[in-house]
Amino acid sequence: MSALLFSLIVGLLAACGLYLVLRRHSFDLVLGMTLLSYAVNLFIFAMGGLKIGATPIIHAAGSDYADPLPPALVLTAIVIGLAMTALLLALAIRQRQQQGDDRIDRDEDASC
Amino acid sequence: MLSQHLLILPVLLPALLAALSLLLGQRLALKRGLALLGGGAMLLLSLTLLTWADQGAIQVYRLGGWQPPFGILLQLDRLSAWMLVLTALLALEVQAYAAVSDWDKRGAFFHELFWLQWMGLNGAFLTGDLFNLFVFFELLLIASYGLLVHGDGRARIDAGLRYVTLNLAGSALFLIAVSLLYGLTGTLNMADMARRVAQAAPGQWPWLRSAALLLFIVFALKAALWPLNAWVRGTYAAAPGPVAALFAIMTKVGVYAIIRVYTLVFGSASDAGSGLLTPWLPWLALGTLLLGSLLALAARSVRGLAGGLVVGSVGMLLFGFAVATPAALAATLYYLPHSTLAVAVLYLLADQLQLRRDAGDVLHAGGVADKHLALLFLLAAVLLAGLPPSAGFLAKLWLLQGLPLQAPGLWLALVLLAALLSMIALARAGSALFWQEPSGNWHAARPGTLLPASALVLMALALSVFAEPISSYCQRMAEQLLLTDAYVEVLR
Amino acid sequence: MPLLLLLSLPFVAAALLTLLPLRGRVLPPWLAAGAPVLGLSLLWLMWPGLVAGEHPVLHLPWLSAADIHLALRLDGLAALFVLLVYGIGLLVIVYGRYYLNHERDTRRFFASLLLFMGAMLGVALADNLLLLLSFWELTSISSFLLIGYWGERSASRQGARMALVVTGAGGLCLLAGFLLLGDIAGSFAVSDVIAAREQVLADPRYPLLLCLILLGAFAKSAQFPLHFWLPKAMAAPTPVSAYLHSATMVKAGVFLLARLFPVLAGTDLWFSIVVPVGLATLLVGAWQANLQRDLKGLLAYSTISHLGLITLLFGIGTRESAVAAVFHLINHATFKAGLFMTAGIVDHETGTRDMGKLGGLARYMPHTALLGCVAAAAMAGVPLLNGFLSKEMFYGQTLQAAPLGVIWLLPVLAWLGTALSVAYSLRFAHGVFFGSATGPLPHTPHEAPRWMRVPIELLVALCLLVGMLPGWTVLELLQVASRSVVGDDLPAIDLALWHGVNLPLLMSIAAMLLGLVLYRWPGKLAWPMGRLVPEEGGKRSFDALLAGLLQLAHSVAGHWQRDTLRRGLLRWLLLCLLAGIWPWLGQIMPAALPLAPLQRADIPPLVGGGIMLLAALVCVRWHRQRVLAVLAAGVVGLMTALTFVLYSSPDLALTQLVVEVVATILLLLALRHLPTPHHGMRESAARRWRDALLALLAGGGIAACLFAVLSNPVPSLSGYYLQHSVPLGGGSNVVNVILVDFRGFDTFGEITVLGLAGLLLIKLLQQGAGSSADAPAAPMLRLGVRLLLPFGLLVAVYLFLRGHQQPGGGFVAGLVTVVFLVLPVLAGMRFSRLSPPRWMAFGLMLALVTGTGAWYFDSEFLSSAHGHLHLPLVGELEWATAALFDLAVYLLVVGAGWALFTRLAQYRPEEGA
Repeated sequence: MSALLFSLIVGLLAACGLYLVLRRHSFDLVLGMTLLSYAVNLFIFAMGGLKIGATPIIHAAGSDYADPLPPALVLTAIVIGLAMTALLLALAIRQRQQQGDDRIDRDEDASC
Repeated sequence: MLSQHLLILPVLLPALLAALSLLLGQRLALKRGLALLGGGAMLLLSLTLLTWADQGAIQVYRLGGWQPPFGILLQLDRLSAWMLVLTALLALEVQAYAAVSDWDKRGAFFHELFWLQWMGLNGAFLTGDLFNLFVFFELLLIASYGLLVHGDGRARIDAGLRYVTLNLAGSALFLIAVSLLYGLTGTLNMADMARRVAQAAPGQWPWLRSAALLLFIVFALKAALWPLNAWVRGTYAAAPGPVAALFAIMTKVGVYAIIRVYTLVFGSASDAGSGLLTPWLPWLALGTLLLGSLLALAARSVRGLAGGLVVGSVGMLLFGFAVATPAALAATLYYLPHSTLAVAVLYLLADQLQLRRDAGDVLHAGGVADKHLALLFLLAAVLLAGLPPSAGFLAKLWLLQGLPLQAPGLWLALVLLAALLSMIALARAGSALFWQEPSGNWHAARPGTLLPASALVLMALALSVFAEPISSYCQRMAEQLLLTDAYVEVLR
Repeated sequence: MPLLLLLSLPFVAAALLTLLPLRGRVLPPWLAAGAPVLGLSLLWLMWPGLVAGEHPVLHLPWLSAADIHLALRLDGLAALFVLLVYGIGLLVIVYGRYYLNHERDTRRFFASLLLFMGAMLGVALADNLLLLLSFWELTSISSFLLIGYWGERSASRQGARMALVVTGAGGLCLLAGFLLLGDIAGSFAVSDVIAAREQVLADPRYPLLLCLILLGAFAKSAQFPLHFWLPKAMAAPTPVSAYLHSATMVKAGVFLLARLFPVLAGTDLWFSIVVPVGLATLLVGAWQANLQRDLKGLLAYSTISHLGLITLLFGIGTRESAVAAVFHLINHATFKAGLFMTAGIVDHETGTRDMGKLGGLARYMPHTALLGCVAAAAMAGVPLLNGFLSKEMFYGQTLQAAPLGVIWLLPVLAWLGTALSVAYSLRFAHGVFFGSATGPLPHTPHEAPRWMRVPIELLVALCLLVGMLPGWTVLELLQVASRSVVGDDLPAIDLALWHGVNLPLLMSIAAMLLGLVLYRWPGKLAWPMGRLVPEEGGKRSFDALLAGLLQLAHSVAGHWQRDTLRRGLLRWLLLCLLAGIWPWLGQIMPAALPLAPLQRADIPPLVGGGIMLLAALVCVRWHRQRVLAVLAAGVVGLMTALTFVLYSSPDLALTQLVVEVVATILLLLALRHLPTPHHGMRESAARRWRDALLALLAGGGIAACLFAVLSNPVPSLSGYYLQHSVPLGGGSNVVNVILVDFRGFDTFGEITVLGLAGLLLIKLLQQGAGSSADAPAAPMLRLGVRLLLPFGLLVAVYLFLRGHQQPGGGFVAGLVTVVFLVLPVLAGMRFSRLSPPRWMAFGLMLALVTGTGAWYFDSEFLSSAHGHLHLPLVGELEWATAALFDLAVYLLVVGAGWALFTRLAQYRPEEGA
C-alpha cells in the first residue's frame, strides 16, 4: 500500500513540475524543472525498493541493507541538477536583461 | 605501461588539457599552442585506438579495477573508435579555425569549454554503462551550452535557453528511463542489460518496451529527429561559426546512442526489443530527411542551408539504421563521417562570409569575391548534395542496395526526392552566391582561415577515394554491432 | 593501366590547371589541349587491337560492398565515344582559345571543360553501371559549371540550374532503374547485366525499370517533353554548346540506349515507348528550329530533332536500325559541332545571333560562309555529304517498321521531319550568309582568326570524306562500334553513295523539294499547323513545378521558424506519453489496484507525501508570486530529504538538504533579477487545462512505472556492493564507496559538470558584474559572519573526513564550505580573493592525479588502496586513496559553488540594457 501511495505522490509531483514547465515565464520553467527533478530523484531512488531502517552502512550486526546503488545515482543526479538549475537561472537572467521581461517565446508566440 | 591505459586517455587527456588551459588564464597564445599540441595528440591517440579496435576483439577498461558489470566499463569496439576518430578530425580543424579566426578571443573559457566538450563526446562514445552515458551526455551538453553562448548576443541567449530547456527535459526523461531500466533489469551495464533483457519474462516486455521507447525519445531529441528537432533552428543559426561546425557532431551523438542501445540492449537478440522501431522509424526518418531538404530549399542564408542539411542528414542516418539490414547499417556508418565533415565545412564557409562581407551569409545579396571560398563552396556543395564522387553518393547507392526486399518502393522514391531537393537547393544557393557580381564591402581574409575548411574537404574526399578499405571497415563494424554475444562475453 | 591513363588525363590536366598559378590566355589552353592530344595518341595505339576484337579491361575495387568498382572496358562503342570526346574536345579547345580572347583568366573555363571531358570518358568507358552513373552525374555538374560560366548574366544562371535539375532528376531516375536492374541481374557489371537479359525481361519489375532508365536517358538527351532545358543551356559560351550540347553530353542518353540495347531492347514495350518519343522529338525539334530567331536556338532545336532521330532508330530495335543509329550519331557530331562553331564565329564577329538582323555575311567572311554552308548541307542530308548516307539508312529503317500495323505511318512522319530539317538548314545557310542584312549589326563583321576556322575546316573535311568515301573512312569505326551494340554477327553495312533509284532516294529528293518550299514561302504556307506545340510549354511547367516546390518549402520553413519552445516541450511530452502507452496497445491492462487498508507503515508516506503535494500545489497555484513559490519548492525539497531519511538513505538526505539550501539561495538571488511580471495577462483557461491534463497523464505514467517496479523487484547488482564495500573499498558507507570508488567515474564526470556550470556562470554573468560594496552591511552582521566562518569550515572538515564510513563526503563538505564562505558576500562584505577557476582547475588536476596514480601500481584509473589511520578526536579512521579523490571533489565543488553564488549575488545588469 505504501508503494502505491509513494508512486502516486511521485506521479503527482511530476505532474506539478510538468505543468509549470509548460508555463509562459522562464522562472516558472525553472521552478517546474526543480519540482520535476525532485520527482525524478524520488523515482530513481525508489528503483532500489523502499526499505525502512536498512541504511546501507555496513556494520557488524547488519544483514538487511537497502540497495545502495540508486542513492548513489540520485546523488549524481542531484549534483547535475544543481548545475543545470544554476545555468538555467543565469540564462533566464540574461534573457530578462536583454528583452525586458522573462517571457519564453516572446517573439514568436504573441498569440497565446 | 601506458599502453594498457590508452583506452581511457581520450577522456582523461581533454580533462587535463582543460585544467591546464584554466590555469593559463588569459594567456591566449599558450592556450592555442596547447590546443594544437593536444589536438594532434588526440588525433594520434584516436587513430591508434582505431587500429587497435580493428583487431576485432572488444577492448575493455575496467574503471577502478572493478569487475563488470559492477564497476563502470569503457568499451572500445569499432564503432567507438570510428566516432573517436571522427570527433578528433573534426575538433582539430574546428579548434584551428577558432584560433585563426580569433573566435576564441570573443569570450571567456573557449578552450576550456572546447576541451570539456571533447571529453564529454569521447566519454559518451566509450562508455559501456548506461548511467555513465547519461553523465557524459550532461557533460557534453553543458559544455555545448557554454560554447553556444560564446560571443554573447541576444540571439545566442535565446537559442541557449531553448536548447538548454529542451535538453533538460530530455535529461529528466533519460534519468527516468535509465532508472526504470535499472528497476526492471537490476543493472546499468549495457551488455549485462542486454543479457537480462533477452532473458526477461514476457510479462515484463511491455514495461521494457515502454522504457526503451522513452529512452529512444531522449536520443531522438539529441539526434534532432522530427518532430523533436525544435532546438536545431536557433541553435545552429545562432552558434558562433566554429561552434556550429563542431555541433555537426552533436546530432550524431544521438544517432550513435540510438545505434548503440538499439543494437546492443534492445537488439534483434531480445524478444522484448526486436521489432520495436522498425514499423515506424523509417517513416519518421524519411520525414526528417524531407523536412531537411525542404528547409535547405527555403533557406535564405548559408547557415539556414546548412541547418536544413543537418536535419536531413540525421534523417538519412536514422533511415539507414531503421531499415535494419547489415548492409544498410554499414552504409549508414560510412555516411556518418561524410555528412558530419561536409556540414562542418559549410558552417566554416558561412562564418567566413559573415565575417568578411557586409551582407553576411545571406544568399541573395550578391556574389563572393574570393575565388578560393567559391571553390570550397562548390566542393562542399558537391559533397552535400551527394553527387559523385562524394562519399555521400556512394553511401546512398550502398544504402539503397541494402533496403530489404519487401521495402516499400516509396522509400526509394522519397530518398531520391530528398536528394533532388537538396541538389536544387545547393544549385540555387551556389549560383546566387558565387556567380552574381560581388557586391558590398569585402574585408581581407586573415591568413589561414580557409585551411581548416580545405582540410575538412580533403578528409571528406578521402572517404570516397579510399572507399574500399573504409567501407570494409564499416562492414566489419556493422557485423560486430550485430553480434551482441561478443559484448556480453566481455563481462565474464 | 593504359585505360586508367586514357580516363585520367583530363582530370590530371584539370587539377593542374586549378592548382598551378598559370596566368594569361596562352598557357591554359596549351595545357588543356595536352590531354586530348595524348589521349588520341593512346587510342590510336590501341586501335589495331580493337579492330581485332580485343577489349582491354581494368578492374579496381572502389566500394565492392556495394558492387561499385572502378571497372573500365574499352569496347567499340566506348572507343567511338572516346574518339568523339577527345577529338571534338581538342578542336573545341583550340577554338575556345580564340573565342574567349576577351577573358582575362580562362583557367576556370578550361578546367571545367576538362572535368567534363573526363566525366564523359568515364561514362563511355565504365563497365559498371554504378560507376557509369557516377560519371553521368559528374557530366551534369560540369555542364552546370560550363553553362553558368558567364554567371553574372541571369539567363546563364537559370539555364545552368534548369539543365542541372532536369538532368539531375533524370540521373536519380536512372539510379533507381539501375538499382532494380542490378538487383535482378545480381550484379552491376555491364557484361553480367547483358548476360542476364532473359531474367530481366521475365521480371515483373522490367516495365518499371525500363521506364526509369529511359527517363534518365531521355532527360539527358533532351527528348520530348524533357527537351526544354537544352535551348536554355545555350546561354553557355558557344564552344561549350558545340561540345556538350550537341556533340557529346547530350549523346550520353543515346549512348545509354546503345549500351543497354542488348539487355532492354527488342521488346514491344521498348518499341512502344522509345519510337513515339523519338518521333515526337524529331518533329517537335525540327518544327521549333524553323521558328527560332536566335541562331543558337535554331541549332539547339535541330540538335533535339536529330537526337530524336537517333532515339527513334534505337527504338525500332532491330540490329540494322541500331547500326544506322550509331552511324548517324557519328555524323551528327561532326556536322553539328562545325555548325555551332560557325554560329560562334558569327556571334563573335557581328555581336549578335539574331537571325532577323543577320544576312549577307558571305561578303564579309567568305571562308566561314563556305564552311557553314557545307556543314548545313550535311545537316540537310545533301548527297556527297555524310548526312545524306545516314538519312538514306534512316529512311530504309523506317520503311521496315510498322507501328500499329500501319506501314506508311513512320516513313511519312520521318520524311516530314527531314523536310523540316532541310528548311532550317537553309535558314541557317542562306538566311545568314546570303541576302542582305535587315538592320545594323553591333560590330562590322570580318573574317574570323585563322585558328578559329581550322577546327571547322577539319570537321567539314570529315563530312565530305565520309560522305564521298564512306568505305575508306568510317566503315571500320562503324563496324567496331556497332559490334558492341548488336553483337558480333553484324548485319551487312552497305555504305555507298549510289544505291540506284529506290524509295529512300525518292523520299530524299521529295524532302529537299518540300524543304525548299517551306523555306522560300513560309508565309504562304503560313505554317499550316501554326504553333502547334507551345515552345515554352515545357519550361513553363518546369517553372511552375519549381515555384510550387519553393512555395511548399517556404511554408514548411515558415512553420519551422514559428515553432516555439513551448510547442517543442508540448510535443516532447505528447511523444513521451505515446512512447509509454504504445507497447501496451493490445495488451491486457492489469485490472484492479491492490488497495489494502492502511497500515502503520503507510502513515509516513501519507503525511509526508501530503505535505509535499500541498507545497507543490501551492507552488503551482501561486507560481506568479515568486518568493512564495520558491519557498514552497523548498518545502518540497525538504520533504524529499525526509523521504530519503525515512527510506534508509541518510547520505542522500544530507546532500539533498544542503543542495536544497544552496538551490533556494540561488533562486532567491536570481529573483532579484527576475521580478514578478506586472502585466496581469493570464493564459487562457483552455490552455491551462490542456497542460494540466497532459501533465497529469504523464505523472500517471510515471506512477504506473514506479508502482510496477516496486511491486516486482528484480535481483540487482546491490549484493556485490554490500559484500565488497568494506573488504575491497575500505569504507562501510556503501553509497559513498560507490560514489568515489565503484562508480567513481560517474562522480568524476559529475563534478566536471558542476565545474562547467561554474565556468558558464562566470562567462554568462560577467558583464556588468559590479562591486558588492554598494550595500554596506551592519557591523553586528559582520561580526556574526566572522564568527560563523570558522565554525562552518570545521563542520565541513568533519563531514569530509567521515564521509567514507558515515554520511558525508567531499561534495557535501564542499557545499557547506561554500555556504559559509558566501555568507560574507551576502552580507555585503568584500571577500573575493578566491579564484574559482583555479580551485576548479586544481580539483580537476587532483582528481586526475589521484586516478592515474593507480597506474603506477599497474591498476586501472581510479583504483583505490586503503588502510587504517588514527586521528585524534575523530578516532580510528580507515583511509582510502579514494579520500584523495574525495578531496578533489571538494576542491571542485568549492570552486564551482563559489562561482555560482558570487556571480548570482554580484551580478548587476548593465545600465540601460
